[in-house]
Amino acid sequence: MAKKTLEIYSVELSGMKDIEQTDKGNGKEKYRGLKNCFEPKKNHRKEELTKELDLDDHKLSIKELEKKYGTNIITGLSSAQAAELLARNGPNALTPPKETPEIIKFFKQMVGGFSILLWIGAILCWIAYGIQYSMNTSSSLDNVYLGCVLALVIILTGIFAYYQEAKSTNIMATFNKMIPQQALVIRDSEKKTIPAEQLVVGDIVEIRGGDQIPADIRLLSVQGCKVDNSSLTGESEPQPRSSEFTHDSPLETKNIGFYSTTCLEGTATGMVINTGDRTIIGQIASLASGVGNEKTPIAIEIQHFVHIVAGVAVSIGILFFITAVSLKYQVLDSIIFLIGIIVANVPEGLLATVTVTLSLTAKRMAKKNCLVKNLEAVETLGSTSIICSDKTGTLTQNRMTVAHLWFDNQIFIADTSEDNSNQVFDQSSGTWASLSKIITLCNRAEFRPGQENVPIMKRVVAGDASETALLKFSEVILGDVMEIRKRNHKVAEIPFNSTNKFQLSIHKTDDPNDKRFLMVMKGAPERILEKCSTIMVNGQEQPLDKNTAEAFHTAYMELGGQGERVLGFCHLYLPADEFPETYTFDVDTMNFPTSNFCFVGLLSMIDPPRSTVPDAVTKCRSAGIKVIMVTGDHPITAKAIAKSVGIISANSETVEDIAKRLHIAVEQVNKRDAKAAVVTGMELKDMSPEQLDELLTNYPEIVFARTSPQQKLIIVEGCQMQNAVVAVTGDGVNDSPALKKADIGIAMGITGSDAAKNAADMILLDDNFASIVTGVEEGRLIFDNLKKTIAYTLTKNIAELCPFLIYITVGLPLPIGTITILFIDLGTDIIPSIALAYEKAESDIMNRKPRHKKKDRLVNEQLAMYSYLHIGLMQAVGAFVVYFTVYAQEGFKPSALINIRVEWENSNVNDLEDSYGQQWTWYQRKYLEWMGYTAFFVGIMVQQIADLIIRKTRRNSIFQQGLFRNKVIWVGIASQIIIALILSYGLGSVTALSFTMLRPQYWFVAVPFAILIWVYDEVRKLFIRLYPGSWWDKNMYY
Amino acid sequence: MRRQLRSRRAPASPYAYRYRLDDQDEVNQNYLADEEEEAEEEARVMVVPNLEEEEEEEEEEEEEEIEEKEKEEEKGQGQPAGNAWWQRWQIVSEYLWDPEKRMSLARTGLILVIYFFFYASLAAVITLCMYTLFLTISPYMPTFTERVKPPGVMIRPFAHSLNFNFNVSEPDTWQHYVISLNGFLQGYNDSLQEEMNVDCPPGQYFIQDGDEDEDKKACQFKRSFLKNCSGLEDPTFGYSTGQPCILLKMNRIVGFRPELGDPVKVSCKVQRGDENDIRSINYYPESASFDLRYYPYYGKLTHVNYTSPLVAMHFTDVVKNQAVPVQCQLKGKGIINDVINDRFVGRVIFTLNIET
Repeated sequence: MAKKTLEIYSVELSGMKDIEQTDKGNGKEKYRGLKNCFEPKKNHRKEELTKELDLDDHKLSIKELEKKYGTNIITGLSSAQAAELLARNGPNALTPPKETPEIIKFFKQMVGGFSILLWIGAILCWIAYGIQYSMNTSSSLDNVYLGCVLALVIILTGIFAYYQEAKSTNIMATFNKMIPQQALVIRDSEKKTIPAEQLVVGDIVEIRGGDQIPADIRLLSVQGCKVDNSSLTGESEPQPRSSEFTHDSPLETKNIGFYSTTCLEGTATGMVINTGDRTIIGQIASLASGVGNEKTPIAIEIQHFVHIVAGVAVSIGILFFITAVSLKYQVLDSIIFLIGIIVANVPEGLLATVTVTLSLTAKRMAKKNCLVKNLEAVETLGSTSIICSDKTGTLTQNRMTVAHLWFDNQIFIADTSEDNSNQVFDQSSGTWASLSKIITLCNRAEFRPGQENVPIMKRVVAGDASETALLKFSEVILGDVMEIRKRNHKVAEIPFNSTNKFQLSIHKTDDPNDKRFLMVMKGAPERILEKCSTIMVNGQEQPLDKNTAEAFHTAYMELGGQGERVLGFCHLYLPADEFPETYTFDVDTMNFPTSNFCFVGLLSMIDPPRSTVPDAVTKCRSAGIKVIMVTGDHPITAKAIAKSVGIISANSETVEDIAKRLHIAVEQVNKRDAKAAVVTGMELKDMSPEQLDELLTNYPEIVFARTSPQQKLIIVEGCQMQNAVVAVTGDGVNDSPALKKADIGIAMGITGSDAAKNAADMILLDDNFASIVTGVEEGRLIFDNLKKTIAYTLTKNIAELCPFLIYITVGLPLPIGTITILFIDLGTDIIPSIALAYEKAESDIMNRKPRHKKKDRLVNEQLAMYSYLHIGLMQAVGAFVVYFTVYAQEGFKPSALINIRVEWENSNVNDLEDSYGQQWTWYQRKYLEWMGYTAFFVGIMVQQIADLIIRKTRRNSIFQQGLFRNKVIWVGIASQIIIALILSYGLGSVTALSFTMLRPQYWFVAVPFAILIWVYDEVRKLFIRLYPGSWWDKNMYY
Repeated sequence: MRRQLRSRRAPASPYAYRYRLDDQDEVNQNYLADEEEEAEEEARVMVVPNLEEEEEEEEEEEEEEIEEKEKEEEKGQGQPAGNAWWQRWQIVSEYLWDPEKRMSLARTGLILVIYFFFYASLAAVITLCMYTLFLTISPYMPTFTERVKPPGVMIRPFAHSLNFNFNVSEPDTWQHYVISLNGFLQGYNDSLQEEMNVDCPPGQYFIQDGDEDEDKKACQFKRSFLKNCSGLEDPTFGYSTGQPCILLKMNRIVGFRPELGDPVKVSCKVQRGDENDIRSINYYPESASFDLRYYPYYGKLTHVNYTSPLVAMHFTDVVKNQAVPVQCQLKGKGIINDVINDRFVGRVIFTLNIET
């Protein structure tokens, strides 16, 4: 399907969700709020629906139109008029969505997440220096440096996040290529080609097959014009257009052509009645851009996590600030403690790590044909609990294909898979020979030349969808169709039209001995049957009696009931004596018989489901994801497709089915018995939100048919109100509001319109619904792995925080400096925490239910408790042992350190005694303090290696998971060690960094603690596995 | 997967989780049955701040329940007062251990107990580590001394700052120096030194071999060695005449020995500015050096009475009414006095601002 949509149309890109966009009020309130505002919202939508119907140009006569728009259908507008209208109404283009200025995006990154906390830290640093300076002008610049470093950290992480976001947004730039569109317009009685943007209301435009309709136009004269409205309404069949007013609804009437839809064949002349944003498409687009971006689940989780950490940091900070002040510390000192506590508590590198992790997954998914536009959407698919899928083009191939045949009183199934190669039905019957001849000959569609090497199913065909289907079908089975047609020279033809409802052609036969003409006909089955007096069974003509007619009707109903479009085929050999070879057929006077044909067979066509879809739907099911079909197509077709892909499973019935089976009225059926439901847009319109809620709750298998874009939106909202994370797939313009509203919108990359791609968060490059399953898997994995990453990162915060608390309360020399902490957070820990993103899943993640938005948090209390109070404290203890070892071996035993702080830090005390009676100058002590920092740093680093290894799994033993399966982990460990070595031995002489050389033996002091951490965690996991559901499991599994 | 299911409360999300595949139905029903009570259990067990609200709610509910029960029992049975206590006990015990809900305060208690044991063992581990650490380090000799070497220098009197500002004619401005020096020199009193310490031969190390843990003797450093700066003759240490005495001592370092035959000397000069601002300095002892007999130092545990040797600098002729930066350096082999960052290793810088 060459459905090239070139519309210069885009809706606001859903950029990275702003974490800082604070979510006021708790979940319950939000829910209540939603509920309250649902009613008016729906009313509002209804208004919009009716507003759409205000368009009444299709009802007006041409004269009235000319009057209304002040134009003339022969001469068109004058240039002056056009210029005036253009100036008044603006260009015929959709207003591009307002983009957030880059600088604002940038600054948002600077204040989001932990940045505020760090800014506070930095400002406190400068305040502290200010106080120092006012007391003593020669005070050291340490605090200024620290403040600058903190500011630098914020700015760098901000730039990094901004860069990542910009990079993912840029992927979309390729889709926004604007190809200037031309329109053929009559102005000043002349035909002119002008850019479509300059069209104004009242312009007379001409369109031809292949053109994109440049604006909403009222068709004035039409020659066999068919348009593809699938991007607007979801109907995959080409819609014939005429100049007559056929329906009250502007969407249904045939004399309107819509902006950005494509004219497939024929020509037409029309008058522009709406331009730019006032077109139907424009209205949908404004609907889409009016839909607010939902926060992604992962953004909510990260925000939740930031709140937890910031809460801990601020409360501990303030608690100890007060403690320090009440312990008679100076305010200045207390401020410095506060800075230390904030810096220790905030995992500075984490948000950057999360971004990298997400983009790694996004890359991995792009390789699997899922292009993620919005980084955070990577995870959303994993927590999706409902997929609302469009039918056409997503679940189906969006092309008509022969599905069934009926001849010899039998229904045969044709292969509808993507390549159609495996046609297994019985082709030996004589009836098939006749039928295949009719199919081949009574067909105007042709392959475009020069496609000999293209697979048949992919060749471009000139002709409408059904004829294309028949052409390809016969090409696959019979071989070179064009050659057969050549041999059976066509002498006359009546093309299909909606009044006749049949198509007829007369051919010479390819049998040189048979001088008869063959008349072949296809059309609406009941019309065809009317014209028949005989029926062919097993190659023999038999009179058409009641029984065979009944058999025909049964077959017709059965195929029609499956939502398939059925065509009847018949033929007639014209007797050679009446119609000699030289006979001239006149299609206008019909100088040939049009009855007493021989009925040959039926053939039904459908837009078949993609072959990978049923499997993918099953996988979604087993992953606990409910798949709902939402389509603009007919309910019968929708239901048939739903059944064939498993959205309605084989053994479930709708209320109507049950009623039919039990022969009772629909009202009498117990609604609880039905598992499936097919709801049309009309029914949906009359539903209250409560009813919709009930519907979504009670039926596991739902199909929505004949829905409008607005209704798709209502359905998505309805699902979201049940706390479900909703994914919407779609390809048409009509899907774009729902794509935008959904927690994650998934657009089709090949068939999808730009509008859909713009509104979506993710694009399936291969249009394969099965790729969604991959996405779900990756999303779930990334959620698990992010948990591990955060657990890993949070752990050391305690080890960084404890020194400050001990420093304040016990008065030890400061065990670890603020700068050193930054080196852990942004140095040694970065690569390992990213490495956890490469961890494989612990169990089959596709067999569990999607996580609950409100309950299965990314950072839950178990994770926080275990990281902070178990492993974190063990790390703190281990690091303190290293610290005490260094001090004790240098002369200060732990007992001598208690309450030494004031003298220790007094630069005028240059003969401070240690445990051996030795006297230390201030600088010697300072150096020793730095050595302590380095030792503490090394202690944490060594234990973080153990932490990294234990975080590989949450339940399984490390040995089950495989210690060496994730190679990146080892890269991470190596990087940790190398960075630490460089800091200690390489930069040990740079005093500003407060790292020093460390004796080699100190690197091993914390190793027993690292082993202890590992063993402890293995024991924890062992108990979790041994006693699932126990107290231990509940409290120790994060 | 099991975990995910269990953590859900059925009523909160009626549809999303009620629907399940056929083969899971049985399992799910069990979950549904358990879920409510489990959910309550969970809420009780949680201890994290953001759940506190919920927890409190639960507790309030519970309390209300109890009150209701109490009322019911009081109304329905109207038992005599003697049984009221028994009932109360029952209620309390139910609160502590509710067999129906299989949860209670005891759970919270259990958590506390477990954490107690966890932290107790952590404490045990750290104790063990500290114990091992002390086993490995000697109480007499520090394991490493390279950080405290080379020796630092400090002066007395020291009162928070190294700026000596005083007015000769106003005793209040220098009195505290005198007091400080007097206090400092108490330990150097001749009588005390003679009583506690031995008079050892000068010019050579006072090496005391033998076991590490043996008490070591210390050499005498008498106050009188400081002559004019001893405060014995001039109780104002020269401050009253504008000729202040400043004592200089070298930081103690266990095992430190100056180069043999080359005692560490002290020399002072104007640090910046006119060399002639200080026209003369008298050093006591006159050698202006730390005698070798005061080395080595054996550490505070065994070398209890060790008295740091001093060098007194008597600034007899310093320019008055102007700040004179003075730098006193140690000189000798193995002495470092030019560390940029540390202004107290091998040298000391102070300013004299004597007003008349």
